[in-house]
Amino acid sequence: MELSKATTNGWQVIKVSGQIDSKTVTDLKNYLDSNIAEGSPMGLDVTEVPFMSSAGLRTLLTLHRKTEQMGISLAIIGLKSEIADTMKVTGFYQYFTIYSDLQSLPAAN
Amino acid sequence: MLINDRIDSLPTDEVAGYKIRAGKPLPFGVSHVPNGLNFSIYTSCGTSCTLVLFEKGQPEPFAEIPFPENYRIGDVYSMVVFDLDFEVLEYGYRIDGPYNPEQGNRFDNQKILMDPYARQISGRDIWATEPDWNNIYPYRARVSFDDFDWEGDKPLEIAPNDLIIYETHVRAFTQSPSAKSSFPGTYAGLVDKIPYLKELGINCIELMPIFEFDEFENSRIHEDTGERLYNFWGYSTLGFFAPKAAFASSGKFGMQVDEFKQLVKSFHAAGIEVMLDVVFNHTSEGNENGPTLSFKGLDNKTYYMLTPEGYYFNFSGTGNTLNCNNPIVRSLVVDCLRYWVAEYHIDGFRFDLASILGRDPYGAPLSNPPLLESLAFDPILSSCKLIAEAWDAGGLYQVGSFPAFGRWGEWNGKYRDCARQFLKGDANKVGQIAQRIQGSPDLYQHSGRSPATSINFITCHDGFTLADLVSFNEKHNEANGEGNRDGGNDNDSWNCGAEGWTEDVGIQSLRRKQMMNALSILFTSRGIPMLLMGDEFGRSQNGNNNAYCIDSSLSWVNWDLLESNKKLYEVVKTLIEIRHQHPALRVNEFEGNGAHSVGLPSCSFHGQQAWSPDWSAESRQIAWMMTTDQTGEANRADIVYVVANMAHYASWFNLPESPNGYRWKFNINTGDENQPVSPPNSFLNEGGILVGDRSVVIFTADPIR
Repeated sequence: MELSKATTNGWQVIKVSGQIDSKTVTDLKNYLDSNIAEGSPMGLDVTEVPFMSSAGLRTLLTLHRKTEQMGISLAIIGLKSEIADTMKVTGFYQYFTIYSDLQSLPAAN
Repeated sequence: MLINDRIDSLPTDEVAGYKIRAGKPLPFGVSHVPNGLNFSIYTSCGTSCTLVLFEKGQPEPFAEIPFPENYRIGDVYSMVVFDLDFEVLEYGYRIDGPYNPEQGNRFDNQKILMDPYARQISGRDIWATEPDWNNIYPYRARVSFDDFDWEGDKPLEIAPNDLIIYETHVRAFTQSPSAKSSFPGTYAGLVDKIPYLKELGINCIELMPIFEFDEFENSRIHEDTGERLYNFWGYSTLGFFAPKAAFASSGKFGMQVDEFKQLVKSFHAAGIEVMLDVVFNHTSEGNENGPTLSFKGLDNKTYYMLTPEGYYFNFSGTGNTLNCNNPIVRSLVVDCLRYWVAEYHIDGFRFDLASILGRDPYGAPLSNPPLLESLAFDPILSSCKLIAEAWDAGGLYQVGSFPAFGRWGEWNGKYRDCARQFLKGDANKVGQIAQRIQGSPDLYQHSGRSPATSINFITCHDGFTLADLVSFNEKHNEANGEGNRDGGNDNDSWNCGAEGWTEDVGIQSLRRKQMMNALSILFTSRGIPMLLMGDEFGRSQNGNNNAYCIDSSLSWVNWDLLESNKKLYEVVKTLIEIRHQHPALRVNEFEGNGAHSVGLPSCSFHGQQAWSPDWSAESRQIAWMMTTDQTGEANRADIVYVVANMAHYASWFNLPESPNGYRWKFNINTGDENQPVSPPNSFLNEGGILVGDRSVVIFTADPIR
């Protein structure tokens, strides 16, 4: 799994490449914990995530809770439709704001 | 103070390269502990136990860890294994012990056994996908998360007498392309139909078995049609704690637990309870010729009822019988139901062949079966519905006498039989149908039970659909590949003049009317009505009355019928609305006070003359009036008057005078082919009405404003 950070349109965007499952979630979690800053909205770019396991989806939900607590908005960017389907049927989808790509992100105020 | 370092978060031993420590014997199954998993398994006659670990889908295990002898307390082996990636873990057990079937033991350490407490089972993740038949461990226990976000949901606890149950099969409901589901045949597909069910008005969905089963069990190719036959219905449990993976669109990712919880949460949000049809009478291990998957190899003589020679008693008709009143098995059943209520928020259970649950280890019926008593008084199950199919395949028939402990309801088979006979115009039925309509006091009053004890139904998954009930005199089960020998012969059905499909418009119209009549009687009876999926729009199985093995358009609900049988659907929707609006139909006492305010008894019967029912053998005309003052409004009585003419000729019925301040309003007239649902504000202007042949009319007393 590869992880990187950038700023786009006022958003702090963390990009993940590779599948998110029980083998990789710890790395992702550690990275998120040390890289999310207060003050600007956060985007998680999963355009290059082909699959998220049960554990992966749970990390997403934990991230949602965390950003909520920090008082910043969270957006998921570039979610594959198969993953979106799994999230819909298992109840994870409803918690998230989803954008198809980075260009669709509205300007952060 | 926060304690971060628990002593038991570190291993004490190392076996086969794995860090372990002695576990906790309770709870059974697998539980999450700091840094590891706690495995606990019971065997009373086994002599040693080994934990076998696989990475998901791999043919061979990656580890086998024998339990050190000091990890056994009593008959329970328990062990914590550290640092396992549980998301991709599959686990099982090998148990050593004697093989002497005549003494009841069938241990075989070559077999890898599934945990009876497995909360997830892999092996049949995608429906009807041909498995590897040489798999050394075909149905594999897995570890679930059990951390669902319920957002405040809990079981709904709708009063039993207010329930309207809708019986359905997860796959059959939305698998047909006509269902236009994005997730056909799955839990998610069922969720897509919530708006439909809400509009129909039901408030409880009863799901045919969703505990993990193998659709390939007894699977075969039909000799004539070449079609593959499956265990479609699923009345053969592999694991009592695991939802069927292949019913989850996310089953291929092992997410069936979340998907099923999401289903329950969604139904609850719509005000609909979820009830499960559970099969505790037998397992899928069959008899002495069947496979050893779990119980047989763990502790055969604890789990099964055995003959003195060590063969399997067969009260279930499927090869073996679970030994329900053994204390170990009893705990398993209680643990299981508690789990489904606490963890999945399930609202109630319907127990398949429940009379078996009241037999002792040798099969004799018990007068106070400990299992049934435990369930009736369990603190976690105290608000959930317990409903018995009060008979078994061993000849025990307990409708009216099932040991209820003040709690158990019953599928009222006598309601079904009598309603069908009355409907087709049999002689000598008015007396009995009067009992059925008021909640079967002849069966339940003497023991202090109430009308809601009785689950009233005319059709269920077993037997004809409603459309087939009025279209076939005989079963037509050729598609099942058993030479039409399977399925019941006592259908009490009537084809209305031609067997099967016909161009005769007279017969077609009579059938439509008979379907409306049946459901008009059902929904104006006291007790809990149950509707079979699709009956509200005339679903047919082409005369097959036992489609347990059919996975095709024959057994799938055809949603196109909703359009073609719109009138029937409108009638059913109206009937359900009437039931919700009129508490008189839902009174849950046999000796109710009725409508004191207008001086009317709770339930009375009438004939062509008001207050004067004709109980004679040739009478096919009866009317009933149900009333209550419990309307939530002072001096407001609720009164429903139903007229049923099952004679083949039109009959005049005088109505009782409507009480002062009320007038009789038409709601349904099945004899009015063009307009069976009466237009709003149509009132009876005469003292009576000519009721068409084989027709039902429903009136309510409308207050004159």
